[in-house]
Amino acid sequence: MMRFLPWLYLLAAFTFIYLPVGVLVLFAFQEGSLPVPPFNGPSLRWFGEMLADDDLMAALRNSVLVAFGSSAVAVTLGFFAAYGLARHVLPGSAVIRGLLIAPLTVSYLIVGLGLLIVLTRTGLGLSLWTAAIGHVVINLPLAFAIIYASMGAQQQNAERAARDLGAREAQVIALVTVPMLRPAIAAAFFLSVTLSWDEFIIAFLLTRFDVTLPVEIWSLLRSGLSPQLNAIGSFVFLISVAVVLLLEVTLFRKPRP
Amino acid sequence: MTASVTFQGLNHSFGTFQALSDINLQIEAGEYVTLLGPSGCGKTTLLSILGGFLEPSEGQVLIGGQDMTRVPPVKRPTTTVFQDYALFPHMSLRDNVGFGLRMGGMGRAARHARAEEMLDLVGLKDAAGKRPHALSGGQRQRVALARALAVEPDVLLLDEPLGALDLKLRRLMQDELKSIQQQIGTTFVHVTHDQEEAMAIADRIVVMSKGRIEDHGPPDRIYRHPATLFTADFMGETNHIPGTRRAEAVETPLGLLPAGGPPGAVSVCLRPEDIRAGEPEGLSLGPAKITSAAFFGTYCRVHLAPRRAPDLTLTAYLPVGRNWAKGEEIEIAAAPEDFRIFEQEPG
Repeated sequence: MMRFLPWLYLLAAFTFIYLPVGVLVLFAFQEGSLPVPPFNGPSLRWFGEMLADDDLMAALRNSVLVAFGSSAVAVTLGFFAAYGLARHVLPGSAVIRGLLIAPLTVSYLIVGLGLLIVLTRTGLGLSLWTAAIGHVVINLPLAFAIIYASMGAQQQNAERAARDLGAREAQVIALVTVPMLRPAIAAAFFLSVTLSWDEFIIAFLLTRFDVTLPVEIWSLLRSGLSPQLNAIGSFVFLISVAVVLLLEVTLFRKPRP
Repeated sequence: MTASVTFQGLNHSFGTFQALSDINLQIEAGEYVTLLGPSGCGKTTLLSILGGFLEPSEGQVLIGGQDMTRVPPVKRPTTTVFQDYALFPHMSLRDNVGFGLRMGGMGRAARHARAEEMLDLVGLKDAAGKRPHALSGGQRQRVALARALAVEPDVLLLDEPLGALDLKLRRLMQDELKSIQQQIGTTFVHVTHDQEEAMAIADRIVVMSKGRIEDHGPPDRIYRHPATLFTADFMGETNHIPGTRRAEAVETPLGLLPAGGPPGAVSVCLRPEDIRAGEPEGLSLGPAKITSAAFFGTYCRVHLAPRRAPDLTLTAYLPVGRNWAKGEEIEIAAAPEDFRIFEQEPG
C-alpha cells in the first residue's frame, strides 16, 4: 500500500497543475457559444473565428515583435554587463551587481507606473516601443543573472588562450565567449521571450492603440467568456510547447561524444 | 623559430605579498628550461610575466633581445600551453589548432593544411574533425601543444602541462615534448613542481623558492652539487646530518668529515643512494641497525639507526642483490666527495 502513495501524490500534483490547462484546451473545441459544460463538439469553429479576427492577429504579431525585440536587447545588455563584471575588477562591482539585479524585486506594477510617469513627462507617446522598453527593464536583471552565473573559469581560460594566440577583444567575444556561453545566452533569451509574451500589467499601462496579445485578451474578456478565448489560449500554449520541444531537440541536447 | 629570453632585475608583488624578488636569468635560444619549485614559489608568476599576462612591478623582460615588458600577450612571440589546456570546446581540433593562424589572417585552406600538419606532429591527424570533449586527457594535452606551436612562436611556455596526467602517460609525454622540442628548436620554458619531470626533460633546471632563484644549471649538476640546502632537499630525498665546522674538518655525530671552512653550525647532506653497506671503502659511518626495509624494484629503501647517533634516522637505497632484514646490523660507509655541506640558515 505504502508503495503506491508516492505515485498517488505524483498523480494528484500533476492533476492540480494540468487540469486547468486541459479544461481550457478541451473547451476551445466547444461547439456552442459558452466554454462551460456540457461539452458538445469537438469543433474547430472558434479557431476559425480567432484566425478571422484582425485585431487579435495584429495583437499576436505585436506580441511576437515585442517579445523577440525586447529579449534581444535585454540579453545583449545583460551579456555585456555580465562580461564586464566577471572579467574586470571595477570599483564597487558588488554595488553595480546589486543594482543590476535589484529590479527583479520590484513589482511589475511599480515598474510600469514608474515608466508611465516618466514617459508621459518626457512627452513620448505610448506605443509598442514603450512596452518593449518596459520589458527590457524587467528582463535585463534576469538575463544578466543567468549569464553572469554561467561565466566560469573555463571560459576565462579559453579567452586567455585566444588572446595568447593573437585574438583581439572583439574576436575573443565573438569567437570564444559567446559560443561557449551559448546555452546560457539561449536560456536567458527564451526565458525573456516567455516572460514578455505573458506580461500584462506593463504592456497594459504602456501601450495605447497597438496592443500586445495579453492586453487584447483582457479587452475581449470584458465582453464576457467565449470559447474563442479558449482557442487563443490553446493556440498560444501549443506554440509555447512547440518552441520548448524544438529547443530541447536542437539547442539543449547534450552533444554526442 | 626561436629566441632567447632575459629577465633583468624582476620584482613583482601582489599587494603586500612579494611574489618575485630580484630575478635575473638568461635563457638561450633553443634551450629547454624548466622552472621548478613548490607551490607558491613564484614559478607560475614568472611564466605569466613572460607570457605577458602580468606586468612586473619592476624590471625588464627581453625576448630575442627586444624589450617586451609592457607588450600584451597578443603581440608577443610567445604562446602558452595552459595547465587545464583551455581548448575551445565548441570547435573541432582542426579549428582549435588553426585558431592562431586564423587570427593571423591565414586563409582557410592554408590554415587547415597547417593545422593537420601540426596534429600529425602530435599523432592526432585522424582526429582532426573531432571535438575536444571526445578526447582523453593526454590527447587534449597534445592538441593544446599543437595549437600553441601552430603559430610558430619563438618561445613556448608550458604551465604544468602534465599535471593532470597519470604517471605512465606523463613519462610518455615527457619524452614526446623533449623530442618535439629538439625537432623544431623552439625555446621551451616549462613550469613544474615535479623534480623527476624536470630532470627528465630539461637542458637546464631553474630551482625557485619564495620568489627567488635558488639554483640553476643542468639536471645532473643540480642534483649532485646543489647550490643551496633548499635545492638539495627539493631535488629528491636526502639525509640531513647536523654538524659543526672547524678549520680543518666538520664534526658530526657520525664522525669527522675532512672538509674545512669558516667555523659555524652546518647541515651535512648525503643522498640515500650514496650510503654503501658492507663495503670497507670510503669514510666509515660505523655500524647501523636496519629499522625498516621496503622493496622498490631497483633498490631497497631502508631506514637505519647508526650506533654512533641512535637518535638520527638515515635513509639508504641499498642494492637488491640480498635480503635486508629488519633488525640486522650492517657496516655503512660513504665516499667523502658525496657529502654536501651547507651553512645552517640563520634562525
